[in-house]
Amino acid sequence: MKSAPMLSSAFLHPAGQSLPQPLLALRKDRASALVDMPLPTRKTENWKYSSKYLKLADDMAISLPADGTVGSSLAVPGYKVVFLNGVMIPEASEYPDLDGILIQSFSDLDDEQGQALAEQLGRTLNHDQAQFARLNGARFEDGLLVRLKPGAVLDQPLFVIHETTADASGSAYPRILVEAGANSQMTLVEEYISQGESAAFTNTVTEFTLAEGANITNIRLNMEGENVQHIGATGVVQQRSSRFESHCVGFGGPLRRHDLQVRLEGEGAECKLNGVVVTQGKQHYDNHTCIEHIAAHCNSEETYRNIAADQSHAVFNGRIHIHQDAQQSNANMNNKNLLLSNGAEIDTKPELEIYADDVKCAHGATIGQLDETSLFYLVSRGIDRRQANVLLTMAFINELMQQIPVEAVRETAQTRLNEFFEQTFQEA
Amino acid sequence: MATTDNEVKELIKREYEHGFVTEIESETFEPGLNEDVIARLSAIKKEPEWMLEWRLKAYRRWLEMDEPDWAHVGYPKVDYNSISYYSAPKRKEDMPQSLDEVDPELLKTYEKLGIPLHEREKLAGVAVDAVFDSVSVATTFKEPLAKAGVIFCSISEAVHDYPELVKKYLGTVVPQGDNFFAALNSAVFSDGTFVYIPKGVRCPMELSTYFRINAANTGQFERTLIIAEEGSYVSYLEGCTAPMRDENQLHAAVVELVALDDAQIKYSTVQNWYPGDEEGKGGIYNFVTKRGACIGKNSKISWTQVETGSAVTWKYPSCVLRGDNSVGEFYSVALTHNFQQADTGTKMIHLGKNTTSTIISKGISAGKSSNAYRGLVKFGPGAEGARNFTQCDSLLIGDRCGAHTFPYIESKNKSAIVEHEATTSKVSDEQMFLCRQRGIDPEQAVSMIVNGFCKEVFKELPMEFAVEAGKLLEVSLEGSVG
Repeated sequence: MKSAPMLSSAFLHPAGQSLPQPLLALRKDRASALVDMPLPTRKTENWKYSSKYLKLADDMAISLPADGTVGSSLAVPGYKVVFLNGVMIPEASEYPDLDGILIQSFSDLDDEQGQALAEQLGRTLNHDQAQFARLNGARFEDGLLVRLKPGAVLDQPLFVIHETTADASGSAYPRILVEAGANSQMTLVEEYISQGESAAFTNTVTEFTLAEGANITNIRLNMEGENVQHIGATGVVQQRSSRFESHCVGFGGPLRRHDLQVRLEGEGAECKLNGVVVTQGKQHYDNHTCIEHIAAHCNSEETYRNIAADQSHAVFNGRIHIHQDAQQSNANMNNKNLLLSNGAEIDTKPELEIYADDVKCAHGATIGQLDETSLFYLVSRGIDRRQANVLLTMAFINELMQQIPVEAVRETAQTRLNEFFEQTFQEA
Repeated sequence: MATTDNEVKELIKREYEHGFVTEIESETFEPGLNEDVIARLSAIKKEPEWMLEWRLKAYRRWLEMDEPDWAHVGYPKVDYNSISYYSAPKRKEDMPQSLDEVDPELLKTYEKLGIPLHEREKLAGVAVDAVFDSVSVATTFKEPLAKAGVIFCSISEAVHDYPELVKKYLGTVVPQGDNFFAALNSAVFSDGTFVYIPKGVRCPMELSTYFRINAANTGQFERTLIIAEEGSYVSYLEGCTAPMRDENQLHAAVVELVALDDAQIKYSTVQNWYPGDEEGKGGIYNFVTKRGACIGKNSKISWTQVETGSAVTWKYPSCVLRGDNSVGEFYSVALTHNFQQADTGTKMIHLGKNTTSTIISKGISAGKSSNAYRGLVKFGPGAEGARNFTQCDSLLIGDRCGAHTFPYIESKNKSAIVEHEATTSKVSDEQMFLCRQRGIDPEQAVSMIVNGFCKEVFKELPMEFAVEAGKLLEVSLEGSVG
């Protein structure tokens, strides 16, 4: 048998020494565990459909420098933290010094705080499913720590702009950890954008721990360029009666992969995961979600929509795992897919794994094209065919787009969507 | 229950020891698998050279393969060198001479299933007397079949008598190297069924392995090949509707169906191998590869299965819908109890235009068992206008069992439409209350509810099978409540 390809050892050399000592030690430790890390192949179950898109050349192992200029001076309606190639740029960031809310870069922590953080990092993720979170653990150069004291409420959304500037080949390893104390609240918006044309690789990890009654909304918008391969992981652990809401909007690229793992550890915890993916050209996008119902009386609701045009490839893998004794769980998963072209491919795998009997679980998945009857209806009323296509395609995802609670994100995404419609639906 | 289980266990053990001592040595191979063993097997069966070559090719492929471990089941690895790959049928003297010698518990089960007396004897492995002689039974049915031109015989006979047909179709649907167990089967298959329905013929009766007496004792590696020529129709029933106490540990069968233009094949299985005892000891590993190819236009293959036995089940009856407008159907009820594990489902591969498929799967888990549906629905780029509907429901009885769903859906054609639904529920307290209130005891109430849950699948079974399947569920569910 042919031996599996390994992660090139070029990837095991982290740059950036500005982290506190305990984090440097942690990174070194994680790197040594990565020696001989097999790269996913077609036979790797959770990379079955996506491994062929993963192309990590050795020159992409180099850490992209964080000394460039921040390309976009995005005005955001809220607080802003800017990361350039995984390193925080304080000059470009604007965030308040609020009572009970700590927003800090990893590099600014002292050794004691660093030690505490080192014990926290990576705890929310199942690394066997999100293999590349290990790589982030070995390579991160900086990160954002957000700590909400019990009862703290962040009054405006916090935008974290992750910019990858690929003037030469290289990679970036952004990392965020949010610790939400009891009954605290915040909205975190992650935006992934890029500049430059060289082949780049972004490998992200975002973690949330929600104490009792915490309420967190996370919006993740991926709009990186055609030169950037992106593998991200988000881990969430929820305690009693906490609520987590996630909105992921992703546009395709050469490789896009997002793992979202939620563990409902306290009774009465609730999560809602929404996702929209749009791919065109030869793009790819792969969403893997996993919701673990560990405690009883938890609710989860998941809705993902994929649109694939041209020769693109969209993948969805949703998994609901109800542990033994997680009685009275309610779990709903829904995945709908729209194929706009015969060259495009959609693969979906909604899984249920259930070990408790008193539960209500359902999942549904569909793949189809735009409904001919609806198109005919619109066209027969004088709407031109192109416009009718746009209307119906937009209607397919609008329900989810409208649920995004931050208007600025909706607008940014809509602008990008309009471009997509422009390119996909030609005048008849 | 414990004592009766012990009896059953003793019975199994006794039979095994008995068989071991009295078996004439030359009739049973030493455990182990190598090319010599296959050559000897082939020689005993007086197979032609090409057949041996075919087997050896499969064996060489098998050596290079790894046992699959992706299924949601756990079992101690099988040592393929500790299995004997050929065992001659038991001699009459070694078998129980009359029903009086058979375990009474076994007989009670037969009674509950409503199996006629003479069938009970056969199922219990009682040496068949002159009246129910295998040859005579077989010939009774062979006549009308021959009149219709239907070939229905064992695959060993077919290798001798119809080598052209066997050569043409064997391994075309499930190639030798298809998967680990299929390769193993291809190398060492002991016997099986061969069915050929000529052009335009509607098979006058439902064929069943049961009719063929030599199939009642088929070995661990059976192979079935059914070919339906243009415009023909056949309904084939497989399996045994009574608990078969079998000492075999591994059962790796291969079933291949070929449907040409306008042909229809309906394949029904009621599987009830020995599931192991309440502690999860013993039982059959059922690793079966079943696949049908709708080669012709407008052809149809329909799988219906009721799975209640086996310690571990690994089985995915599939349809390759190559011909335009061809239809694939899969109806399944899988029930697991105690420590049984099932990973079963189907694959519908749509290649032709306007192909349609329906999947209805009902999984019931009780006790500490685990029951998984794993299915693939795939639309190739040419599957213009193809359509699939999938529904898989799980029912949980008890809080220590598991029910899982792993559907894979892949589409490369925009005009193809696929819908997948799955739900998981338990026998609700309201339903139970309603039944109890009307004087129905809990065990019967559960069985009624479960039967209702499975109705969609049972209605696809041939009539007498459906009745038996219902009763079988009842027997299998015994002791799962209260």
